[in-house]
Amino acid sequence: MLDTSTQPAGQVTQVTGPSRRTRRRGPKVTDQVPRHLRAHLTAYLMIAPMVVLLGIFVIWPLVYAFYLSFFEMSFYKDAKFVGFDFYQYVLTDPDFYASLWVGLKLAVMVVPTVLVLALLLASFIATLSKRLAAFMKTTVYVPAVVSSVVAAIIFVFIYQDEGVANWFIGLFGHGPVAWLNTAATALPAVAIPAIWLGFGVSTLIMLAGILDIPESYFESARLDGANFWQRTRYITIPSLRNVILFLLVTGLTLTIQEFQLPLVMTNGGPVSATNTPNLYIFNSFRDGTPYATSYSLTAALLLFVVIGTISIIIFRVVSSEKSSDA
Amino acid sequence: MNRSWYAPRRLLSYLLVAGIAVTALFPLAWMAMSGFKSQTEVLRSPFQFFPDVWRVENYRLILADPAFVRAMAITFAGAVIFTIASLVVNSTAAYAFARLEFAGKRLWWIVCITPMFIPAMAILLTSFVVVSKLGMLDTLAVLIVPGVASSAQMFFLRQFYLNMPAAVEEAALIDGATRWQIFLRIFVPQSLGPYVVVGIGSFLAYWNSYVWPVLVVSNPDLTQIMQYLATFRSSRGNDWGMLMAGSTLAALPTIVLVLIFQRYIVNGVRLAGLK
Amino acid sequence: MRHRRLRILVASAVAATLALAGCGSSGNSGSSGGKGGTTEITFWQQQFEPYQQKWFKTYVDKFNASQTAVKVKYQVVPGDTWTQKLKAAQAAGTQPDVATTNYGGIPAGVANGQFAELDGLLPGKAWDDIKPNVSGFVKVDGKHYAYPMLVEPSTVLYYRKDLVTAAGLDPNSPPKTWDELLTWAQKLTKGTVKGMSIASVAPDLGWSSWGLQYNACGHLPINDDWSAANAKDPCYAKLFQLYQTLFQKGWIPQQPKVGYADASPYGQGQVAMMADGSWAVGQLKQSFPAMIKNTMVAPFPSVDGDPSKPTATLGGWTLTVDGKSKQKEAAAKFIDYLLAGDPAIMADFFRQSGFSKYTVRTSVDKALASDPAATSDPFMKIISDKVVATGKAEPAYPFDISLAFATAIESVMKGKSDIPSATQKASDAIDRVIKQQHLKGTAPKG
Repeated sequence: MLDTSTQPAGQVTQVTGPSRRTRRRGPKVTDQVPRHLRAHLTAYLMIAPMVVLLGIFVIWPLVYAFYLSFFEMSFYKDAKFVGFDFYQYVLTDPDFYASLWVGLKLAVMVVPTVLVLALLLASFIATLSKRLAAFMKTTVYVPAVVSSVVAAIIFVFIYQDEGVANWFIGLFGHGPVAWLNTAATALPAVAIPAIWLGFGVSTLIMLAGILDIPESYFESARLDGANFWQRTRYITIPSLRNVILFLLVTGLTLTIQEFQLPLVMTNGGPVSATNTPNLYIFNSFRDGTPYATSYSLTAALLLFVVIGTISIIIFRVVSSEKSSDA
Repeated sequence: MNRSWYAPRRLLSYLLVAGIAVTALFPLAWMAMSGFKSQTEVLRSPFQFFPDVWRVENYRLILADPAFVRAMAITFAGAVIFTIASLVVNSTAAYAFARLEFAGKRLWWIVCITPMFIPAMAILLTSFVVVSKLGMLDTLAVLIVPGVASSAQMFFLRQFYLNMPAAVEEAALIDGATRWQIFLRIFVPQSLGPYVVVGIGSFLAYWNSYVWPVLVVSNPDLTQIMQYLATFRSSRGNDWGMLMAGSTLAALPTIVLVLIFQRYIVNGVRLAGLK
Repeated sequence: MRHRRLRILVASAVAATLALAGCGSSGNSGSSGGKGGTTEITFWQQQFEPYQQKWFKTYVDKFNASQTAVKVKYQVVPGDTWTQKLKAAQAAGTQPDVATTNYGGIPAGVANGQFAELDGLLPGKAWDDIKPNVSGFVKVDGKHYAYPMLVEPSTVLYYRKDLVTAAGLDPNSPPKTWDELLTWAQKLTKGTVKGMSIASVAPDLGWSSWGLQYNACGHLPINDDWSAANAKDPCYAKLFQLYQTLFQKGWIPQQPKVGYADASPYGQGQVAMMADGSWAVGQLKQSFPAMIKNTMVAPFPSVDGDPSKPTATLGGWTLTVDGKSKQKEAAAKFIDYLLAGDPAIMADFFRQSGFSKYTVRTSVDKALASDPAATSDPFMKIISDKVVATGKAEPAYPFDISLAFATAIESVMKGKSDIPSATQKASDAIDRVIKQQHLKGTAPKG
C-alpha cells in the first residue's frame, strides 16, 4: 500500500537502534532549500491574510495594551502617565509570584501526563481495527466537549467527603481526605480534570502524527525484532518530534492560563494553593477602579512575557534547529 | 506475529477500549442524566447517577425555547464559517513557513507565532477597542474574524508540512507546477487528517467561547450558545437541571461532527495521487 | 473531483468572510437619538436570580410602552464577566447610560468621575423618600450619585427547627454569643450532617466577614482615615478563633460544594445551620420550599452577646447614570420611574424576591404594610428589625484590602499560620495597597 520510495523526513535520520534500514535513507531534505525553490512573492501572498488579521486583532491590541500599561487608566479623566509604576507593583507583589508558581506546578503536572497518555493511547488506537478505532477516535474526544464548568462540578463531586475518590482510598483502609481543601492535594486534584479535558484532542493530534509515519519504518523495525517500547522509543517519538513540540508549547501556554477549573472547584484555596495566574488577575480586577484595571492589564502582560520566555526555552531545548528556526 | 499470544492480546485491547470509554464517557453520561433531574437533585450528596424520577421537563423546556434553537443555529453557522476560514488562512501561511524560503522569513515567523503566548486577558480590553472602532460590534463578523488567524493552528499545520518529503515538491516543480498548485493539489489532499484534527479544535474553540461573545454582542439574535447556557448560572444558586440538559444538547452537534469526520484521521496516503 | 469541491468550498468561505467583515458597520450599539424625538438609552443589569431579570424586563417594557420620549434598551450581563464588559465598553466609549452598581462601588466610581450627579435630575421628593440609614450609602460629599434599589444584609443565621430540637437545644432561643454558636455547631454535627456552613475561602470571606469584623472590633482592619492598616488589633483573635474552630473541629463541611452565597447545601439538608445573606430566603422559597416551615432565622450571634453590635453589612444595588452619557435626563427619567416612582413597582419586586431583600424607601414600606404576604412572612420582620437595623455600609476601599484580611482568616482557619504572623502579613499587604493606591485620606465621609 505504501510507496517504498518514500523519503523519510529529516528527523527520522536521527533514528538509531533497530531501524537500521531507514537510517541510510535520504539526506536532510527540508533544511536547505535550493535557490530555485525560493519564492518571495508567493510566500508573501500566502502569509498575507494571516499577518494582516493577526496585525489588526492581536499585535496592534498588544502594542496598545503595552502603551496603556504606562498609564493609570481612567476612561473618564485624562489618563495619568505613571511610567513603570504598575510593573513595579506587580513585580513586588509576593502573590503574583505565588500564582506564577502555582501555574507552573499545574503545567508540570498536566502537560507531561497528557503527552504520555496521548502517546500511549494514540499508539494503541493505531493498532485497532477500523471500526474499533473509529469508536475510540470519537470517544477520547468526548471529554473535550464538556465545558470546563461542568467538568469542574463533576470533579467536585468525585472529591467530596462521600465521593468516589474517598470511597476508593477507603478500600485500602485510608480515612477520607478533604482533597480540595488540603494544601498538598488541592492542586493535583485540580490537575486531574485538566488532564481529563485535554487528553482527547492531544490524542487525536498524536494519532494524526503517528499515522503520518511511513508504515515501512515500523515494518523494518519489527523485522529487526524491536518490541513496542523500542519502536516507540526509536521510531515513534523521534518522528513525532514536531508534534510533541507543538503539544508541549500549546499545552504549557494553555495550562498556565487555566482559571475556570480552580475558580469553580476551589476559588483559589486553600490559602491560594490553587490560585493560578489568571485567577489571581481575575480577582484583582474585581473592583474595576483605574488602579485595578491597570494592575490586571500589567499582570497579564507580564504573564505573556513569562509564557513567551518559557516557550522559547522549550523551542530551543526540544527542537532541532531546523524545526524551531524557520 | 505469534498467534499464541494474539488472542489474549485482543481481549486485552477490548478491555482497554472499554476502560477508556468508561473514563471518557462517564462525565458526559452524568451530565445527560442530570438533565433529567430536578434543580435540587443534581447537587445531592452522596453521589447519585440516575434520577429519582425521570423528568423530561428540562429537555423539553429548552428544546421549546426559541432562544435556544436560535442560539444553536447561529452558533453552528458561525462555527462552520470560522472553522473553514481559519483552515484556509492558517494552512496557507503554514505552507509558506514550512516549505518556502523568503526574505524576512524569521521576522514574519516571530510575528505569526508570538500571538500564541498572549494571554487573552492582556488584550481583551484593547481588542475590544479595535473592533469597536472598526464598527464591528454586534455583527456575526466580530465573533468570527478576530479569531480566524490562529498561531497555534498555523504552527501545528506547519509541523505536519515539515514532515512531508521534499521529493514530491521537486518533482512537481520540474513538471512546471506553481507553488499554489503544489499546495492545493498535493499538500491539501494529503493533510486531511491534520485538517480534521485542528478543524475540530477550531470548531470547539468557537463553540465554547463565552467571554468574547458577552463582550461584543448585545443583539439577542446573535446570542451564542455559551451565553445562552450562562443564563442558568449565578453565584446565588444555579439551575442545575436546566444547565446540564442544555450543556448536553449543546454538546451533541460537536460529537456528531467528530463521528462524521473521524474517518479522515487515517494513514497518510502520501504520494498516492502523484503517480 | 475532490479538488474542485475543495476549491469551491475555499472560495465560498473566503467570500463569506469578506461579506461578514463588510457588513460590520451596520449595527452599532450605544445610545443615539431615534426617530420622532424618541431618545434611546441603554441599560445594563448585572445578572442575578431569574426573578430579578423577569421583573426588570416587565417594567422596562411597561416604561417603554407608557411614553414615547424615552426608549430603554435593556441588556442582562452575566456577573462573571461584568467588570470586563463594562471596562472594555468604557475604553471604547460604548458603555451604557444606566447600569446597576453596588453600594461599595459608588465612592471609587465617583472619584473616577464615572457617575453623573443625580441631584438635579431626580425630583426632591424621590430623595426624601429614602430611609435615613441608606441615604448615606448613595452620597459622596453631600451629593447623590446613585438611586438605591434594595439592601440585603450579608450575614443572617438560618437553622433547622427539627434538628435543633432533636439535639436537645431550644429553637426559640438561638445562640447569642460566638461561644454559644460553637456549642450549637458541635451538638448539631451528626454523621454526615455538619453543624453549619459559612464562608471558607478568601474570595468569599473577603466580603462575607465584614459584618463580623465590625462585630469583633468595632472597626475594619484599616484606620478611619485609611492612612494605615489596623489588622493586628488583638480583638480580632476571637474572629479568627471562630472560623478556625468551626473548620478544624469539622463542624462545617470540609469541602464546600458551592460558594457562600449559594444556599443549596442547607436546602439539601447537609448542614443544620447556615450563615448566609438574606437572599438565601429567596433561594429556599424557590428551590427548597419544603425546608421553609422547618427553618428559623436569627441575627448572627455577636462576639459577646451584645445584640446592638453589627453582624452584617448591607449590600445591595443601585442604578447609576454614566458620567459621559449624552442622555442624562432621559436616563434619570427611567430611574425615576423604576426605582423612585410608583411604590407598587418596587413592592412588586420585593414580593417577587420572596421578601429576601429589604426596602430603602418609606413609601414602599407603606405599600408592603398592607400586603398580607409581606406581613405574614416568617423571616422578614426578624431580619429587618434585628439585622438590617444594626447593619453597616459595605466598605468602600479596594477589594484587595478585604482579600488580604480574608487570606489571614483562611490561613489561620486551615492551620497554615498562627494569628500573629497571619495578621502581620495582612497588615503589610494592606499597607502596600494604601501606598500604591494612594488611599491615605481618601476615606469617604458619610
